[in-house]
Amino acid sequence: MPNLKELKNRISSVKSTRKITSAMKMVAASKLRRAQELAESSRVYADSLSFILSSLAGNTKNSADLPEILTGRENSKISLLIINSSDRGLCGGFNSNLFRNAKKWISDQQGQGKSVKIMTVGKKASSFYKKTDLDIVASFEDLNSNDRQLQVSEEIKNKIMELFENNEIDEVSILFNKFVSAISQEPTYQSLIPLSNDETSEDESESNNAIFEFEPDKNELLEYLVPRNFLTQIYRSVLESSASEHAARMTSMDNATRNAGDMIDRLTLTYNRTRQAFITKELIEIISGAEAV
Amino acid sequence: MINLKVVSPQKVIFEKEVEMAVLPGAEGDFAAMPNHSPFISSLRPGQMAIMSSNKVDESFFVSGGLVMLKEKVCEVLVDQIEPLSDVNSSNYQQSKTYQELEGNETVLGTFEQVVNNPPYK
Repeated sequence: MPNLKELKNRISSVKSTRKITSAMKMVAASKLRRAQELAESSRVYADSLSFILSSLAGNTKNSADLPEILTGRENSKISLLIINSSDRGLCGGFNSNLFRNAKKWISDQQGQGKSVKIMTVGKKASSFYKKTDLDIVASFEDLNSNDRQLQVSEEIKNKIMELFENNEIDEVSILFNKFVSAISQEPTYQSLIPLSNDETSEDESESNNAIFEFEPDKNELLEYLVPRNFLTQIYRSVLESSASEHAARMTSMDNATRNAGDMIDRLTLTYNRTRQAFITKELIEIISGAEAV
Repeated sequence: MINLKVVSPQKVIFEKEVEMAVLPGAEGDFAAMPNHSPFISSLRPGQMAIMSSNKVDESFFVSGGLVMLKEKVCEVLVDQIEPLSDVNSSNYQQSKTYQELEGNETVLGTFEQVVNNPPYK
């Protein structure tokens, strides 16, 4: 028979766990709202920028005129993958989903005869990939404020430009959890070098009927635009990932709170039953004692 | 009237109908007015002015960026924008474009040159 005291302690400890998880849920929910707003408001800039870039690239008929950093190198050998994880845990399958996905991507690339380098964002990714034998070119941590997110995006951009110019990488992709809704996040790849043009196709019809004049000339403008575009794309993925992180934490903490509630119910039932059993037992003892007299 | 939309990487800073906006283009100042030919340019650090009936309504300091002009839309993508009155020589030197050019003032112009050289006469 379970000990009453033990049960009581157990119940109170589950209760305090529930308090913590429900507080974490509230915090995640309010952070999610802010992160979502940020992600949405940054979209305007990113869209305009990619529109300008696509009308610029679309205006150049011969793709050989475009810089390598836009079109990518032929016979690319080394791919860089930027992995956007979170700094903190307790957010369900947020990171493990991402890492599982990345593993598949990496073996795909290696199957094509390319070597893979990794850049990690967030503590979780850096501690995970430290244990593997992959080549980590850089790690970024502590993305706890919006200023810091922008700063990290800038650092990542500088790093990939530098690596590309030194021929240390030929391709760059970025992996992040795309924020679909509060209950669903989707690991997504985006190619930075060569520039993915799924968005350009949409704008094509629009950019064709407006023929822009450019100032200064196209090449100079591209020189300015390309790094700026990297920065925006990276920043956007960082923001998406942070919105997803809070959403994932919110749902998993919600589940944890509910589980804790169920557990308390069960434990309370056992506690009451046990208590009743003790009382009955004592009564029987008294009655049979009285009968014996 | 032309729709002037000023956007930073973080957010839309403002969007309003203006008669004319004067912008510091990389190769010279230009005025954005309705039915300007489609035009894309980068911006150098300098002053942006919103004008109506030949006088300045508001002026801003922009640290550089891009502008896209279409018929009735003028989209300005800026790194940083401040009302001109809030800018002083120390935060001018901290602006992103200034840092990127490593304070090369011959390209950029000194703070006095930028601030005392309004694009409108």
